[in-house]
Amino acid sequence: MLKRLDRSALEKLLAALATEFRLLTPQRLADGTRLLRPHGEGALALQGEPVQRKPTEAFFPQHDPLMWIGAQGEVTACDPPVNPLALFGLNAADLACIAFTDRFFAAPPADDHYQARRQGALLIGLTGHAGPGGEFLPLAEGLCDLELLALRQDWLGVPWTARGEDLLAGLPDGDWAELENLQETGRARGNPLQELLESAAGLVASESVPDDFWREIGDRCILCSGCNLVCPTCTCFCVEDRHEQGATLRSRVWDSCQFDAFMREASGHNPLGSEALRTRRRIHHKLAADVTRWGEFGCLLCGRCDRVCPTGIGIQAVAAKILARFGS
Amino acid sequence: MTATLTTCPYCGTGCMLYLLSDGQGRLVGVEPSSGHPVGRGQLCVKGWNAHAFVHHPDRLRTPLIRRRGTLVPAGWDEALNLIHERFRQIAAAHGPDSLVFLSSAKVGNEENYLLMKLARAGYGTNNIDHCARLCHSSTVTGLVETLGSGAMTNTVACLDETDLVLVIGSNTTEQHPLIGSRILQAVQRGCRLIVADGRRIKLSRHADLHLRHRNGTDVALLNGIMQQILELGLEDRAFVDARTENFSALQQSLAAFKPDRVAAITGLQADEIIAAARMLGSAKRAMLFYAMGITQHSHGVDNVRAVSNLALLTGNLGRPGTGVNPLRGQNNVQGACDMGALPDVLTGYQKVAEPAVREQFAATWGRPLPERPGLMATHAYDAALAGRVRAFFILGENPLLSEANQAHVAKALAKLDFLVAVDIFPTETSALADVVLPAACYAEKEGTFTSTERRVQRFRRALAPPGEARADWEILSAMLERCGLPAGYAGPAQIMDEIAAVTPSYGGISYPRLEESSLQWPCPDRFHPGTSILHRQSCTRGKGHFSPVDYRPARELPDAAYPLLLNTGRTGTHWHTGTMTRRSHLLDREEPSAFVEIHPEDALQHAIHDRQQVSVESRRGRVEVMATVTDRVPPGQVFMPFHFVEGAANALTNNALDPESGIPEFKVCAVRIAPC
Repeated sequence: MLKRLDRSALEKLLAALATEFRLLTPQRLADGTRLLRPHGEGALALQGEPVQRKPTEAFFPQHDPLMWIGAQGEVTACDPPVNPLALFGLNAADLACIAFTDRFFAAPPADDHYQARRQGALLIGLTGHAGPGGEFLPLAEGLCDLELLALRQDWLGVPWTARGEDLLAGLPDGDWAELENLQETGRARGNPLQELLESAAGLVASESVPDDFWREIGDRCILCSGCNLVCPTCTCFCVEDRHEQGATLRSRVWDSCQFDAFMREASGHNPLGSEALRTRRRIHHKLAADVTRWGEFGCLLCGRCDRVCPTGIGIQAVAAKILARFGS
Repeated sequence: MTATLTTCPYCGTGCMLYLLSDGQGRLVGVEPSSGHPVGRGQLCVKGWNAHAFVHHPDRLRTPLIRRRGTLVPAGWDEALNLIHERFRQIAAAHGPDSLVFLSSAKVGNEENYLLMKLARAGYGTNNIDHCARLCHSSTVTGLVETLGSGAMTNTVACLDETDLVLVIGSNTTEQHPLIGSRILQAVQRGCRLIVADGRRIKLSRHADLHLRHRNGTDVALLNGIMQQILELGLEDRAFVDARTENFSALQQSLAAFKPDRVAAITGLQADEIIAAARMLGSAKRAMLFYAMGITQHSHGVDNVRAVSNLALLTGNLGRPGTGVNPLRGQNNVQGACDMGALPDVLTGYQKVAEPAVREQFAATWGRPLPERPGLMATHAYDAALAGRVRAFFILGENPLLSEANQAHVAKALAKLDFLVAVDIFPTETSALADVVLPAACYAEKEGTFTSTERRVQRFRRALAPPGEARADWEILSAMLERCGLPAGYAGPAQIMDEIAAVTPSYGGISYPRLEESSLQWPCPDRFHPGTSILHRQSCTRGKGHFSPVDYRPARELPDAAYPLLLNTGRTGTHWHTGTMTRRSHLLDREEPSAFVEIHPEDALQHAIHDRQQVSVESRRGRVEVMATVTDRVPPGQVFMPFHFVEGAANALTNNALDPESGIPEFKVCAVRIAPC
């Protein structure tokens, strides 16, 4: 099935979704920040850089209350979500990141809290000429219920699930030649960043990157923890207990492996007690350990850590440096 | 989820961020503002955790009044009436100058304005001050004399176009992380970096030259560098001739600072001083950054004068990529000073001693104003001990942990007839109060903060305050009303209009203009775009004034009984007395307890090993903390942060004050250390 949507059809589709789902759509706030926001709160921003906040937070929020523990030890679970989420405006990298965390949180023991939010959620990709100023974004070709591919005007609609097909029912057919054009644009552009990552990962995995390099990179880390907080495939959290009026609220909170306390032992000893070791671990985890565990990189090139790092040591920047310094 | 654009409540860098709430009154996270000129979509670790303390169960929720020795809940009217009644009685019995008001660099401009109005017009005293006394009072005194304005001359964005950065006495990547990181980025593009700091701070690892001079020898170092600049003929003669005065006096004063003598004082090699002079003298554009390492000395004003002299001598003023750039610590310490929460000036640094200034404010406020400048906060404790001061009103400060010589402060506060504390959490200071008022925090009210680069920005309400807590401006309005002053402000926007009407540098600032951007003062009228760089054609005072200074050692140096030099400051994780960060889960976990940094050689000599509990003792107090053995500190020096009540650095520090600015010597005192 291939359908075509004009602006009015797109808006109708979103309006219909908003009645059934908690629909989040990309919107630009006054200062220029592009975020996924409840649909209708602001104007749609259908083109632009990736939404700033990681999309996986919809299912794995920064601060997630889990349960109340009463004075007698009785436990009350917190807020099961009511109606399911629909996320619109995800690019290919973000969809791949959600697939990554889906797999992580589904692996035994499955994470109930993640599943409760994820179950029934609808994912709608937005690819093609949907980048800043209409710049081309790689096609997702799956990993969502429905993919909308931006043409210069209008969108092509490609369903990837039965739910996606239902959403497109009744819309006019799209032109297959236009889809092929977009696919060809994608093929022609290739994926130089992926090649960069693969080459750097090879050097990291083969221990070709010396300690001095990690010291140099670690020396630039100012311990903001932003790289972890914005990374859609980072899933580490810590547990925060807050005692209020005789009961305890237990929440999970995004953690960061760049913190000294992340691995610090009760004795005070820390096997990752320097920025160099922690930086090495961060990169190694994404480019080598995740490959062993999951068969793919933990970096899906969303670009957020490079954007948020105040000193320019996001994963793409470090990979480029590794390649320049130690590549053949 | 709702997203509220606001300004970070921690340091003076002034990054903006979104507070994210779940729509049911709970904050769930933060997201940096992508379009902000300084933060540029990035934050430091405290910024990323700026939401984390807001819902802490310790928040103050109701007014508290001390009854039979215990603080118990009370109603707002009862508490406010009691405060007013006691202040009125004390002022009647002992004079208005027996009252002291401490304002806060954590609250908004509008709130600082109201408190200084309350002190002056409401109770008739100029005894108003705030923590700028402890951080940049030396800067205001020094730079007003030499340049005419105490503010940072340039803007953070200038780092993108400078050729050389000198950082002296600022651990920038930890204390102003989004400025420190900008320095690191400048270094990446080829900018040269000189770091003058005894500690091996992160920036020093990236420096072309790291000068590890002894604490308290900055005047000698800076004079030595200037002497060599002259010796090498590297001064900016055209700038000196056209834009400055008193050069010959400077020249004469520098003759005594030849490299060998300076090396002996500072502990540096003569070559290092000459190298610094060459680099500074030959840079086309150099930015000088400093912070507490310069200001917190018994000769803090002289240190500032020396920095200013260096900028003038090398012509690094009034152009992009240059300037004297004192980094303000608190989110609104610049604003609190601008608003006249100081004993000698009203808003915009208009002197209370000048009759015309007093007349203008008296006409606006409808009350005659006291003409004698008030007490500095650091002098107020002595006055309390002497019985001249009888009551304190403390807004959002915790002097019991933040002032030098804790025992002295504790004794002074205990002697008061009446103490009021307004805060968001119970503090060590509020525990001594007769009345405690619960305040809304930055996320629960509206207002403006002014950042270190003079950028006036909005902070906005994302949720309601807990319990009965109220915004400080509401509390202060209620106090003004009790003093018979009209205070029916509809909100902070209206207060800002009043500020703009009486403050030339804020004359063009209004909430509608701040809705979607920010404005750097001076901004004299509503069409003025704001000012990013000061002193462009001429200095605010006219000619830049060379103010020669001589070297004076710190007041208490190590000796046989107390052989180590104690340096104090902050870490990157915590904020000041820990009121907020020690209630932020991840920040508290990162640095859970007090420590002292000691060099391996000293540790060996004192039989101390890493992570051991040790006692640190000065002539004023003794604390027990954990030892961190590290070469970050030089031999002979130990360093302690002042965040921790259970190992309070300020139990040890020396309240030797700079004679002009009244700032204490937080950076140098003598201690001894021993295993517990």
